[in-house]
Amino acid sequence: MVPRSIPLDARHEARPKPALVRFRELFSDGMGFPALMVAPALLTLAVVIGFPIVKGLILSFQMIKLTSPATGGDFTLYNYVKMFSDKNVLASVWRSCVYMSGSVLGATFVGLIAALLTRRAFMGRSLFRTFFILPWAIPAVATTLVWGVMYDANFGVMNRIVQLLPGINSNIEWLIDRDYVLGSLIAVQIWGDFPVAYLFLLAGLQAIPEELYEAANVDGANGWQQFWHITAPQLRYIVTVTIILLGILSFRSFAVIHILTGGGPNRRTETLVIQTYNAAFRSFDFSYGAALGILSLIFSVVIVALYIRLTLGREMRGAAAT
Amino acid sequence: MRNLTLSKAVHRLILVATTICILFPIYWMLVLAFTKLGMSRSVEGFYPASLTFNNFTQLFTERPMLRWLLNSALVASISSALSLLIGTSAGYALSRLHFRGAGLIMILILVTQMMPPTAIVVPIYDLFRQLGMLNTIQGVTLGHISLVIPLAVWMTKGYFDSIPLDLENAARIDGCTRLAAFWHVALPLASPGLIVVFIYGFVTSWHEFLFARTLVSQQELWTGAVGLGSFRGEFFTLFEPQMAASVVFSVPVVLVFMFLQRRLISGGLAGGVR
Repeated sequence: MVPRSIPLDARHEARPKPALVRFRELFSDGMGFPALMVAPALLTLAVVIGFPIVKGLILSFQMIKLTSPATGGDFTLYNYVKMFSDKNVLASVWRSCVYMSGSVLGATFVGLIAALLTRRAFMGRSLFRTFFILPWAIPAVATTLVWGVMYDANFGVMNRIVQLLPGINSNIEWLIDRDYVLGSLIAVQIWGDFPVAYLFLLAGLQAIPEELYEAANVDGANGWQQFWHITAPQLRYIVTVTIILLGILSFRSFAVIHILTGGGPNRRTETLVIQTYNAAFRSFDFSYGAALGILSLIFSVVIVALYIRLTLGREMRGAAAT
Repeated sequence: MRNLTLSKAVHRLILVATTICILFPIYWMLVLAFTKLGMSRSVEGFYPASLTFNNFTQLFTERPMLRWLLNSALVASISSALSLLIGTSAGYALSRLHFRGAGLIMILILVTQMMPPTAIVVPIYDLFRQLGMLNTIQGVTLGHISLVIPLAVWMTKGYFDSIPLDLENAARIDGCTRLAAFWHVALPLASPGLIVVFIYGFVTSWHEFLFARTLVSQQELWTGAVGLGSFRGEFFTLFEPQMAASVVFSVPVVLVFMFLQRRLISGGLAGGVR
Protein backbone atom coordinates (compact mmCIF):
# COMPACT_ATOMS: atom_id res chain seq x y z
CA MET A 1 0.00 0.00 0.00
CA VAL A 2 2.64 2.49 1.06
CA PRO A 3 5.30 2.84 -1.60
CA ARG A 4 8.73 2.29 -0.19
CA SER A 5 11.58 2.79 -2.58
CA ILE A 6 15.20 2.36 -1.57
CA PRO A 7 16.32 5.32 0.56
CA LEU A 8 18.70 7.63 -1.22
CA ASP A 9 21.20 7.48 1.66
CA ALA A 10 22.18 3.92 0.72
CA ARG A 11 23.97 5.15 -2.41
CA HIS A 12 26.63 7.37 -0.95
CA GLU A 13 28.03 5.82 2.17
CA ALA A 14 31.23 4.10 1.08
CA ARG A 15 34.19 6.50 1.31
CA PRO A 16 35.16 8.66 4.32
CA LYS A 17 34.44 12.38 4.07
CA PRO A 18 36.02 15.58 5.40
CA ALA A 19 34.73 16.90 8.72
CA LEU A 20 32.95 19.92 7.28
CA VAL A 21 31.01 17.77 4.84
CA ARG A 22 30.21 15.34 7.68
CA PHE A 23 28.87 18.22 9.77
CA ARG A 24 26.73 19.47 6.93
CA GLU A 25 25.40 15.97 6.37
CA LEU A 26 24.18 15.93 9.92
CA PHE A 27 21.45 18.16 8.58
CA SER A 28 20.89 16.33 5.34
CA ASP A 29 21.84 12.66 5.52
CA GLY A 30 23.17 9.89 7.74
CA MET A 31 22.40 8.81 11.30
CA GLY A 32 22.93 12.14 13.07
CA PHE A 33 19.91 13.64 11.40
CA PRO A 34 17.30 11.11 12.57
CA ALA A 35 18.82 11.17 16.05
CA LEU A 36 18.56 14.94 16.15
CA MET A 37 14.96 14.85 14.99
CA VAL A 38 13.79 12.21 17.45
CA ALA A 39 15.76 13.45 20.47
CA PRO A 40 13.46 16.29 21.64
CA ALA A 41 10.44 13.97 21.77
CA LEU A 42 12.32 11.22 23.60
CA LEU A 43 13.99 13.61 26.04
CA THR A 44 10.74 15.35 27.04
CA LEU A 45 8.95 12.05 27.58
CA ALA A 46 11.84 10.49 29.49
CA VAL A 47 12.01 13.39 31.96
CA VAL A 48 8.33 14.20 32.47
CA ILE A 49 6.79 10.72 32.30
CA GLY A 50 9.58 8.13 32.24
CA PHE A 51 11.27 9.32 35.40
CA PRO A 52 8.02 9.41 37.45
CA ILE A 53 7.16 5.92 36.19
CA VAL A 54 10.50 4.65 37.56
CA LYS A 55 9.79 6.43 40.86
CA GLY A 56 6.36 4.80 40.88
CA LEU A 57 7.99 1.43 40.36
CA ILE A 58 10.29 2.02 43.34
CA LEU A 59 7.33 3.26 45.41
CA SER A 60 5.43 0.05 44.67
CA PHE A 61 8.19 -1.99 46.39
CA GLN A 62 7.99 0.15 49.52
CA MET A 63 5.37 0.78 52.20
CA ILE A 64 4.44 4.44 52.04
CA LYS A 65 1.06 5.07 53.66
CA LEU A 66 -0.17 8.39 54.97
CA THR A 67 -2.55 6.80 57.46
CA SER A 68 -0.21 4.38 59.17
CA PRO A 69 2.95 5.23 61.13
CA ALA A 70 4.48 1.76 60.64
CA THR A 71 5.63 2.48 57.11
CA GLY A 72 8.99 2.89 55.46
CA GLY A 73 11.17 2.80 52.40
CA ASP A 74 12.56 -0.72 52.85
CA PHE A 75 12.21 -3.18 50.00
CA THR A 76 9.09 -5.30 50.30
CA LEU A 77 6.89 -7.43 48.08
CA TYR A 78 3.92 -6.82 50.35
CA ASN A 79 1.94 -4.72 47.82
CA TYR A 80 2.28 -7.29 45.07
CA VAL A 81 1.32 -10.18 47.36
CA LYS A 82 -1.68 -8.14 48.48
CA MET A 83 -2.58 -7.34 44.88
CA PHE A 84 -2.51 -10.90 43.62
CA SER A 85 -4.53 -12.21 46.55
CA ASP A 86 -7.14 -9.46 46.13
CA LYS A 87 -10.14 -10.84 44.26
CA ASN A 88 -11.28 -7.31 43.42
CA VAL A 89 -8.18 -6.76 41.32
CA LEU A 90 -9.04 -9.51 38.85
CA ALA A 91 -12.60 -8.21 38.70
CA SER A 92 -11.31 -4.68 37.99
CA VAL A 93 -9.08 -5.95 35.19
CA TRP A 94 -12.09 -7.66 33.61
CA ARG A 95 -14.25 -4.54 33.99
CA SER A 96 -11.50 -2.44 32.40
CA CYS A 97 -11.47 -4.84 29.44
CA VAL A 98 -15.24 -4.64 28.98
CA TYR A 99 -15.29 -0.86 29.38
CA MET A 100 -12.38 -0.39 27.00
CA SER A 101 -13.65 -2.68 24.22
CA GLY A 102 -17.17 -1.27 24.39
CA SER A 103 -15.96 2.32 24.25
CA VAL A 104 -13.38 1.76 21.50
CA LEU A 105 -15.71 -0.19 19.21
CA GLY A 106 -18.53 2.29 19.68
CA ALA A 107 -16.41 5.42 19.27
CA THR A 108 -14.58 4.11 16.19
CA PHE A 109 -17.86 3.08 14.57
CA VAL A 110 -19.64 6.39 15.22
CA GLY A 111 -16.51 8.34 14.25
CA LEU A 112 -16.19 6.47 10.96
CA ILE A 113 -19.86 6.99 10.08
CA ALA A 114 -19.58 10.71 10.88
CA ALA A 115 -16.36 11.03 8.83
CA LEU A 116 -17.90 9.30 5.80
CA LEU A 117 -21.01 11.49 6.10
CA THR A 118 -19.08 14.79 6.01
CA ARG A 119 -16.30 13.77 3.67
CA ARG A 120 -17.47 15.24 0.36
CA ALA A 121 -18.69 18.78 -0.19
CA PHE A 122 -22.35 19.66 0.38
CA MET A 123 -24.24 22.71 1.60
CA GLY A 124 -23.54 23.24 5.29
CA ARG A 125 -20.73 20.70 5.57
CA SER A 126 -18.55 22.89 7.77
CA LEU A 127 -21.49 23.37 10.13
CA PHE A 128 -21.96 19.62 10.53
CA ARG A 129 -18.23 19.13 10.95
CA THR A 130 -18.34 21.57 13.84
CA PHE A 131 -21.38 19.79 15.32
CA PHE A 132 -19.50 16.50 15.28
CA ILE A 133 -16.59 17.73 17.34
CA LEU A 134 -18.76 19.59 19.88
CA PRO A 135 -18.96 16.73 22.43
CA TRP A 136 -15.19 16.82 22.58
CA ALA A 137 -14.96 20.63 22.61
CA ILE A 138 -16.74 20.82 25.94
CA PRO A 139 -14.67 19.71 28.96
CA ALA A 140 -15.39 16.17 30.11
CA VAL A 141 -16.02 17.34 33.67
CA ALA A 142 -18.94 19.47 32.44
CA THR A 143 -20.45 17.04 29.95
CA THR A 144 -20.25 14.23 32.46
CA LEU A 145 -22.20 16.30 34.97
CA VAL A 146 -24.88 16.94 32.33
CA TRP A 147 -25.14 13.21 31.68
CA GLY A 148 -25.50 12.71 35.42
CA VAL A 149 -28.53 15.02 35.48
CA MET A 150 -29.93 13.37 32.35
CA TYR A 151 -29.54 9.89 33.86
CA ASP A 152 -31.33 10.83 37.11
CA ALA A 153 -33.91 8.10 37.67
CA ASN A 154 -36.69 10.41 38.87
CA PHE A 155 -36.08 13.81 37.30
CA GLY A 156 -33.77 12.95 34.39
CA VAL A 157 -34.65 13.65 30.80
CA MET A 158 -33.29 10.27 29.67
CA ASN A 159 -36.28 8.40 31.05
CA ARG A 160 -38.57 10.93 29.36
CA ILE A 161 -36.85 10.21 26.02
CA VAL A 162 -36.89 6.46 26.43
CA GLN A 163 -40.55 6.53 27.41
CA LEU A 164 -41.40 8.09 24.06
CA LEU A 165 -40.72 4.60 22.72
CA PRO A 166 -43.64 2.15 22.87
CA GLY A 167 -43.53 -0.48 25.61
CA ILE A 168 -41.40 1.37 28.16
CA ASN A 169 -43.41 2.88 31.01
CA SER A 170 -41.35 2.58 34.17
CA ASN A 171 -38.34 4.69 35.15
CA ILE A 172 -34.97 3.04 34.60
CA GLU A 173 -32.30 3.62 37.26
CA TRP A 174 -29.49 4.18 34.79
CA LEU A 175 -26.68 4.56 37.29
CA ILE A 176 -27.96 2.21 39.99
CA ASP A 177 -29.43 -0.79 38.20
CA ARG A 178 -26.63 -3.37 37.90
CA ASP A 179 -27.75 -4.39 34.41
CA TYR A 180 -27.59 -0.85 33.04
CA VAL A 181 -24.83 0.98 34.88
CA LEU A 182 -21.77 -0.15 32.91
CA GLY A 183 -23.60 0.38 29.62
CA SER A 184 -24.68 3.87 30.72
CA LEU A 185 -21.07 4.81 31.45
CA ILE A 186 -19.80 3.35 28.17
CA ALA A 187 -22.39 5.44 26.30
CA VAL A 188 -21.00 8.61 27.91
CA GLN A 189 -17.43 7.57 27.06
CA ILE A 190 -18.37 6.85 23.42
CA TRP A 191 -20.19 10.16 23.13
CA GLY A 192 -17.18 12.05 24.48
CA ASP A 193 -14.48 10.15 22.54
CA PHE A 194 -15.92 9.57 19.08
CA PRO A 195 -14.93 13.08 17.85
CA VAL A 196 -11.28 12.06 18.25
CA ALA A 197 -11.84 9.12 15.90
CA TYR A 198 -13.88 11.39 13.66
CA LEU A 199 -11.08 13.95 13.31
CA PHE A 200 -8.30 11.47 12.59
CA LEU A 201 -10.38 9.42 10.17
CA LEU A 202 -11.55 12.57 8.38
CA ALA A 203 -7.94 13.67 7.87
CA GLY A 204 -7.08 10.14 6.77
CA LEU A 205 -9.90 10.13 4.23
CA GLN A 206 -8.68 13.45 2.82
CA ALA A 207 -5.31 11.89 2.07
CA ILE A 208 -6.80 9.19 -0.20
CA PRO A 209 -6.28 10.29 -3.83
CA GLU A 210 -9.61 11.05 -5.51
CA GLU A 211 -8.36 9.35 -8.69
CA LEU A 212 -8.74 5.94 -7.07
CA TYR A 213 -12.49 6.54 -6.78
CA GLU A 214 -12.72 7.97 -10.29
CA ALA A 215 -11.08 4.84 -11.66
CA ALA A 216 -13.42 2.64 -9.61
CA ASN A 217 -16.43 4.54 -10.92
CA VAL A 218 -15.29 3.93 -14.48
CA ASP A 219 -14.99 0.23 -13.65
CA GLY A 220 -18.55 0.30 -12.28
CA ALA A 221 -17.74 -0.49 -8.63
CA ASN A 222 -20.62 0.34 -6.25
CA GLY A 223 -20.30 2.34 -3.04
CA TRP A 224 -19.81 -0.66 -0.80
CA GLN A 225 -17.12 -2.15 -3.07
CA GLN A 226 -15.34 1.21 -3.18
CA PHE A 227 -15.39 1.43 0.61
CA TRP A 228 -14.11 -2.11 1.00
CA HIS A 229 -11.41 -2.08 -1.68
CA ILE A 230 -10.18 1.54 -1.58
CA THR A 231 -11.19 3.32 1.63
CA ALA A 232 -10.62 0.49 4.11
CA PRO A 233 -7.08 -0.52 3.02
CA GLN A 234 -5.97 3.13 2.69
CA LEU A 235 -7.20 3.92 6.20
CA ARG A 236 -5.61 0.87 7.82
CA TYR A 237 -2.74 2.58 9.63
CA ILE A 238 -4.83 5.55 10.78
CA VAL A 239 -7.61 3.26 12.05
CA THR A 240 -5.07 1.19 13.96
CA VAL A 241 -3.50 4.21 15.64
CA THR A 242 -6.96 5.66 16.36
CA ILE A 243 -8.00 2.42 18.03
CA ILE A 244 -4.81 2.35 20.12
CA LEU A 245 -5.38 5.97 21.19
CA LEU A 246 -9.05 5.41 22.01
CA GLY A 247 -8.08 2.27 23.91
CA ILE A 248 -5.58 4.21 26.01
CA LEU A 249 -8.06 7.07 26.55
CA SER A 250 -10.88 4.78 27.68
CA PHE A 251 -8.61 2.53 29.73
CA ARG A 252 -7.31 5.58 31.59
CA SER A 253 -10.77 7.13 31.72
CA PHE A 254 -11.21 8.71 35.09
CA ALA A 255 -13.59 11.66 35.00
CA VAL A 256 -16.62 9.81 33.58
CA ILE A 257 -16.62 6.96 36.10
CA HIS A 258 -15.37 8.99 39.04
CA ILE A 259 -18.06 11.66 38.69
CA LEU A 260 -21.02 9.44 37.77
CA THR A 261 -20.60 6.44 40.06
CA GLY A 262 -17.18 6.60 41.79
CA GLY A 263 -16.87 2.87 41.05
CA GLY A 264 -20.20 1.84 42.55
CA PRO A 265 -22.81 0.57 42.98
CA ASN A 266 -21.17 -2.25 44.90
CA ARG A 267 -17.98 -1.99 42.78
CA ARG A 268 -19.90 -2.74 39.58
CA THR A 269 -18.01 -0.01 37.72
CA GLU A 270 -14.68 -0.09 39.54
CA THR A 271 -12.09 -0.29 36.76
CA LEU A 272 -8.38 -0.66 37.39
CA VAL A 273 -7.81 3.10 37.17
CA ILE A 274 -10.61 3.87 39.62
CA GLN A 275 -9.26 1.25 42.00
CA THR A 276 -5.78 2.81 41.69
CA TYR A 277 -7.20 6.23 42.53
CA ASN A 278 -9.22 4.95 45.46
CA ALA A 279 -6.18 3.16 46.90
CA ALA A 280 -3.94 6.22 46.62
CA PHE A 281 -6.30 9.09 47.40
CA ARG A 282 -9.07 7.53 49.52
CA SER A 283 -7.03 5.07 51.58
CA PHE A 284 -3.83 7.16 51.15
CA ASP A 285 -1.89 3.95 50.50
CA PHE A 286 0.49 5.42 47.91
CA SER A 287 2.54 2.24 47.58
CA TYR A 288 -0.46 0.03 46.88
CA GLY A 289 -1.73 2.64 44.41
CA ALA A 290 1.67 2.57 42.67
CA ALA A 291 1.62 -1.24 42.51
CA LEU A 292 -1.84 -1.13 40.90
CA GLY A 293 -0.48 1.50 38.52
CA ILE A 294 2.36 -0.82 37.51
CA LEU A 295 -0.20 -3.58 36.93
CA SER A 296 -2.19 -1.20 34.67
CA LEU A 297 1.01 -0.36 32.79
CA ILE A 298 1.92 -4.02 32.22
CA PHE A 299 -1.66 -4.85 31.27
CA SER A 300 -1.87 -2.09 28.65
CA VAL A 301 1.58 -2.81 27.24
CA VAL A 302 0.62 -6.46 26.70
CA ILE A 303 -2.69 -5.56 25.04
CA VAL A 304 -1.18 -2.88 22.79
CA ALA A 305 1.81 -5.06 21.86
CA LEU A 306 -0.51 -7.92 20.86
CA TYR A 307 -2.71 -5.54 18.92
CA ILE A 308 0.20 -3.92 17.07
CA ARG A 309 1.64 -7.36 16.23
CA LEU A 310 -1.69 -8.41 14.78
CA THR A 311 -2.31 -5.28 12.72
CA LEU A 312 0.97 -3.50 11.97
CA GLY A 313 3.43 -6.38 12.40
CA ARG A 314 4.88 -6.01 8.93
CA GLU A 315 5.35 -2.23 9.03
CA MET A 316 6.87 -2.21 12.49
CA ARG A 317 9.33 -5.01 11.72
CA GLY A 318 10.18 -3.27 8.47
CA ALA A 319 10.96 -0.06 10.33
CA ALA A 320 13.00 -1.86 12.98
CA ALA A 321 15.04 -4.02 10.60
CA THR A 322 16.33 -1.47 8.09
CA MET B 1 -29.96 10.56 -11.94
CA ARG B 2 -32.85 9.34 -9.75
CA ASN B 3 -30.38 7.03 -8.07
CA LEU B 4 -28.23 10.01 -7.15
CA THR B 5 -31.05 11.98 -5.52
CA LEU B 6 -32.12 8.89 -3.58
CA SER B 7 -28.62 8.40 -2.19
CA LYS B 8 -28.53 12.12 -1.39
CA ALA B 9 -31.77 11.82 0.57
CA VAL B 10 -30.47 8.81 2.51
CA HIS B 11 -27.27 10.73 3.26
CA ARG B 12 -29.20 13.74 4.61
CA LEU B 13 -31.49 11.50 6.67
CA ILE B 14 -28.65 9.66 8.40
CA LEU B 15 -26.77 12.94 8.82
CA VAL B 16 -29.66 14.70 10.55
CA ALA B 17 -30.51 11.70 12.76
CA THR B 18 -26.88 11.31 13.88
CA THR B 19 -26.60 15.04 14.55
CA ILE B 20 -29.73 15.12 16.73
CA CYS B 21 -28.46 12.23 18.88
CA ILE B 22 -25.05 13.83 19.23
CA LEU B 23 -26.25 17.34 19.99
CA PHE B 24 -28.98 16.53 22.50
CA PRO B 25 -26.75 16.50 25.63
CA ILE B 26 -25.28 19.84 24.52
CA TYR B 27 -28.75 21.28 24.04
CA TRP B 28 -29.54 20.08 27.54
CA MET B 29 -26.42 21.72 28.89
CA LEU B 30 -27.58 25.04 27.39
CA VAL B 31 -31.04 24.56 28.90
CA LEU B 32 -29.47 24.03 32.34
CA ALA B 33 -27.07 26.97 31.93
CA PHE B 34 -30.05 29.31 31.49
CA THR B 35 -32.00 27.77 34.36
CA LYS B 36 -32.25 29.61 37.70
CA LEU B 37 -29.84 28.55 40.45
CA GLY B 38 -30.94 25.27 42.04
CA MET B 39 -33.87 24.72 39.68
CA SER B 40 -32.39 22.19 37.23
CA ARG B 41 -34.15 19.25 38.84
CA SER B 42 -37.51 20.81 38.30
CA VAL B 43 -37.16 21.19 34.52
CA GLU B 44 -40.00 19.17 32.99
CA GLY B 45 -40.51 18.20 29.38
CA PHE B 46 -37.85 19.15 26.87
CA TYR B 47 -37.76 22.94 27.21
CA PRO B 48 -36.35 25.30 29.81
CA ALA B 49 -38.89 26.29 32.45
CA SER B 50 -37.34 29.66 33.26
CA LEU B 51 -34.69 31.77 31.55
CA THR B 52 -31.96 33.77 33.28
CA PHE B 53 -28.62 35.27 32.26
CA ASN B 54 -27.44 35.56 35.86
CA ASN B 55 -25.31 32.42 35.67
CA PHE B 56 -23.27 33.99 32.88
CA THR B 57 -22.86 37.48 34.28
CA GLN B 58 -21.78 36.12 37.67
CA LEU B 59 -18.90 34.23 36.05
CA PHE B 60 -17.19 37.47 35.19
CA THR B 61 -18.20 39.50 38.23
CA GLU B 62 -17.66 36.93 41.00
CA ARG B 63 -14.89 34.74 39.60
CA PRO B 64 -11.67 35.45 37.62
CA MET B 65 -13.10 33.70 34.56
CA LEU B 66 -11.31 35.99 32.11
CA ARG B 67 -7.96 35.35 33.80
CA TRP B 68 -8.53 31.58 33.67
CA LEU B 69 -9.43 31.77 30.00
CA LEU B 70 -6.26 33.72 29.22
CA ASN B 71 -4.13 31.20 31.14
CA SER B 72 -5.75 28.35 29.23
CA ALA B 73 -5.21 30.10 25.92
CA LEU B 74 -1.54 30.63 26.72
CA VAL B 75 -0.88 27.06 27.90
CA ALA B 76 -2.93 25.39 25.16
CA SER B 77 -1.50 27.34 22.23
CA ILE B 78 2.14 27.07 23.32
CA SER B 79 1.94 23.41 24.30
CA SER B 80 0.12 22.35 21.14
CA ALA B 81 2.47 24.30 18.88
CA LEU B 82 5.56 22.86 20.57
CA SER B 83 4.12 19.32 20.56
CA LEU B 84 3.41 19.66 16.87
CA LEU B 85 6.96 20.83 16.19
CA ILE B 86 8.62 18.12 18.29
CA GLY B 87 6.19 15.43 17.14
CA THR B 88 6.43 16.25 13.45
CA SER B 89 10.21 16.17 13.45
CA ALA B 90 10.24 12.76 15.15
CA GLY B 91 7.35 11.45 13.03
CA TYR B 92 9.11 12.48 9.84
CA ALA B 93 12.37 10.83 10.89
CA LEU B 94 10.55 7.62 11.81
CA SER B 95 8.63 7.58 8.54
CA ARG B 96 11.36 8.49 6.08
CA LEU B 97 14.78 7.73 7.54
CA HIS B 98 15.04 4.04 8.15
CA PHE B 99 17.28 3.48 11.11
CA ARG B 100 17.95 0.80 13.66
CA GLY B 101 15.58 0.78 16.62
CA ALA B 102 12.85 2.90 15.00
CA GLY B 103 10.17 0.33 15.87
CA LEU B 104 11.38 0.14 19.47
CA ILE B 105 11.31 3.94 19.77
CA MET B 106 7.71 4.00 18.52
CA ILE B 107 6.67 1.46 21.16
CA LEU B 108 8.60 3.20 23.97
CA ILE B 109 6.95 6.52 23.11
CA LEU B 110 3.56 4.87 23.40
CA VAL B 111 4.34 3.10 26.67
CA THR B 112 4.71 6.44 28.46
CA GLN B 113 0.97 6.99 28.06
CA MET B 114 -0.05 3.70 29.62
CA MET B 115 0.55 4.40 33.27
CA PRO B 116 -2.68 5.83 34.70
CA PRO B 117 -1.94 9.50 35.52
CA THR B 118 -3.51 9.04 38.94
CA ALA B 119 -0.73 6.53 39.75
CA ILE B 120 2.19 8.83 38.85
CA VAL B 121 0.84 12.21 39.83
CA VAL B 122 2.68 12.11 43.17
CA PRO B 123 6.15 11.45 41.61
CA ILE B 124 5.40 14.09 38.96
CA TYR B 125 4.62 16.62 41.68
CA ASP B 126 7.95 15.77 43.37
CA LEU B 127 9.82 16.14 40.09
CA PHE B 128 8.35 19.54 39.29
CA ARG B 129 9.10 20.72 42.82
CA GLN B 130 12.76 19.77 42.34
CA LEU B 131 12.80 21.50 38.94
CA GLY B 132 11.35 24.61 40.57
CA MET B 133 8.43 24.54 38.15
CA LEU B 134 5.55 24.32 40.60
CA ASN B 135 3.11 27.22 40.32
CA THR B 136 4.37 28.26 36.92
CA ILE B 137 2.65 28.41 33.55
CA GLN B 138 5.77 26.79 32.00
CA GLY B 139 5.37 23.78 34.29
CA VAL B 140 1.81 23.09 33.20
CA THR B 141 2.81 23.64 29.57
CA LEU B 142 5.63 21.11 29.84
CA GLY B 143 3.26 18.60 31.45
CA HIS B 144 0.75 18.99 28.64
CA ILE B 145 3.41 18.67 25.94
CA SER B 146 4.33 15.28 27.34
CA LEU B 147 0.71 14.18 27.04
CA VAL B 148 0.43 15.14 23.37
CA ILE B 149 3.83 14.21 21.89
CA PRO B 150 3.24 10.43 21.65
CA LEU B 151 0.12 10.81 19.60
CA ALA B 152 1.72 13.57 17.51
CA VAL B 153 4.62 11.25 16.64
CA TRP B 154 2.41 8.29 15.74
CA MET B 155 -0.06 10.33 13.72
CA THR B 156 2.45 12.40 11.76
CA LYS B 157 4.39 9.23 10.94
CA GLY B 158 1.20 7.80 9.47
CA TYR B 159 0.46 10.89 7.41
CA PHE B 160 4.03 11.07 6.08
CA ASP B 161 3.89 7.34 5.24
CA SER B 162 0.88 7.98 3.03
CA ILE B 163 2.76 10.55 0.90
CA PRO B 164 4.64 8.84 -1.95
CA LEU B 165 8.38 8.97 -1.37
CA ASP B 166 8.88 9.55 -5.13
CA LEU B 167 7.75 13.15 -4.75
CA GLU B 168 10.50 13.96 -2.26
CA ASN B 169 13.08 11.97 -4.19
CA ALA B 170 12.22 13.95 -7.31
CA ALA B 171 12.81 17.17 -5.37
CA ARG B 172 16.12 15.88 -4.08
CA ILE B 173 17.30 14.86 -7.54
CA ASP B 174 16.48 18.42 -8.55
CA GLY B 175 19.02 19.52 -5.94
CA CYS B 176 16.98 20.05 -2.75
CA THR B 177 18.54 19.06 0.56
CA ARG B 178 16.60 16.64 2.71
CA LEU B 179 15.45 19.54 4.88
CA ALA B 180 14.27 21.50 1.84
CA ALA B 181 12.46 18.49 0.41
CA PHE B 182 10.74 18.05 3.77
CA TRP B 183 9.83 21.73 3.97
CA HIS B 184 8.61 22.27 0.42
CA VAL B 185 7.15 18.87 -0.45
CA ALA B 186 6.25 16.66 2.51
CA LEU B 187 5.06 19.35 4.92
CA PRO B 188 2.41 20.97 2.69
CA LEU B 189 1.07 17.57 1.64
CA ALA B 190 0.75 16.36 5.22
CA SER B 191 -0.85 19.59 6.42
CA PRO B 192 -4.41 18.25 6.97
CA GLY B 193 -2.90 15.66 9.32
CA LEU B 194 -0.73 18.23 11.07
CA ILE B 195 -3.73 20.51 11.62
CA VAL B 196 -5.61 17.63 13.21
CA VAL B 197 -2.66 16.96 15.52
CA PHE B 198 -2.60 20.64 16.48
CA ILE B 199 -6.34 20.59 17.24
CA TYR B 200 -5.88 17.43 19.30
CA GLY B 201 -3.07 19.04 21.28
CA PHE B 202 -5.00 22.25 21.83
CA VAL B 203 -8.12 20.50 23.09
CA THR B 204 -6.19 18.04 25.25
CA SER B 205 -4.37 20.88 26.98
CA TRP B 206 -7.50 23.05 27.19
CA HIS B 207 -9.33 20.32 29.12
CA GLU B 208 -6.55 18.71 31.11
CA PHE B 209 -7.36 18.77 34.80
CA LEU B 210 -5.03 16.56 36.84
CA PHE B 211 -1.66 18.15 35.95
CA ALA B 212 -3.08 21.67 35.92
CA ARG B 213 -4.65 21.14 39.35
CA THR B 214 -1.69 19.40 40.97
CA LEU B 215 1.15 21.54 39.67
CA VAL B 216 -0.47 24.91 40.41
CA SER B 217 -2.05 26.00 43.67
CA GLN B 218 -2.40 29.77 43.13
CA GLN B 219 -5.86 30.60 41.92
CA GLU B 220 -4.70 33.31 39.51
CA LEU B 221 -2.51 30.79 37.66
CA TRP B 222 -5.29 28.20 37.24
CA THR B 223 -6.39 27.16 33.80
CA GLY B 224 -10.09 27.21 32.96
CA ALA B 225 -10.45 23.45 33.48
CA VAL B 226 -9.36 23.81 37.09
CA GLY B 227 -11.61 26.84 37.49
CA LEU B 228 -14.55 24.75 36.28
CA GLY B 229 -13.79 22.15 38.90
CA SER B 230 -13.96 24.80 41.62
CA PHE B 231 -17.74 25.03 41.25
CA ARG B 232 -17.91 21.57 42.73
CA GLY B 233 -17.85 22.05 46.44
CA GLU B 234 -17.33 19.49 49.17
CA PHE B 235 -21.00 19.50 50.10
CA PHE B 236 -22.89 20.83 47.12
CA THR B 237 -22.22 21.90 43.56
CA LEU B 238 -23.18 25.25 42.08
CA PHE B 239 -24.61 23.34 39.20
CA GLU B 240 -26.23 25.90 36.91
CA PRO B 241 -23.30 28.39 37.10
CA GLN B 242 -20.95 25.51 36.32
CA MET B 243 -22.96 24.71 33.19
CA ALA B 244 -22.76 28.37 32.17
CA ALA B 245 -19.00 28.33 32.77
CA SER B 246 -18.69 25.18 30.66
CA VAL B 247 -20.52 26.85 27.80
CA VAL B 248 -18.25 29.92 27.98
CA PHE B 249 -15.17 27.74 28.33
CA SER B 250 -16.07 25.69 25.22
CA VAL B 251 -16.52 28.66 22.90
CA PRO B 252 -12.78 29.22 22.17
CA VAL B 253 -12.29 25.56 21.24
CA VAL B 254 -15.22 25.72 18.84
CA LEU B 255 -13.82 28.92 17.31
CA VAL B 256 -10.36 27.37 16.86
CA PHE B 257 -11.91 24.37 15.18
CA MET B 258 -14.17 26.42 12.92
CA PHE B 259 -11.17 28.47 11.86
CA LEU B 260 -8.97 25.45 11.17
CA GLN B 261 -11.47 22.99 9.70
CA ARG B 262 -11.55 24.82 6.37
CA ARG B 263 -7.92 23.81 5.98
CA LEU B 264 -8.83 20.16 6.47
CA ILE B 265 -9.47 19.77 2.74
CA SER B 266 -7.35 17.44 0.67
CA GLY B 267 -3.80 18.58 0.18
CA GLY B 268 -2.82 18.93 -3.43
CA LEU B 269 -1.86 15.25 -3.68
CA ALA B 270 -4.01 14.47 -6.71
CA GLY B 271 -1.96 14.80 -9.85
CA GLY B 272 1.38 15.08 -8.08
CA VAL B 273 2.41 11.50 -8.77
CA ARG B 274 1.49 11.41 -12.44
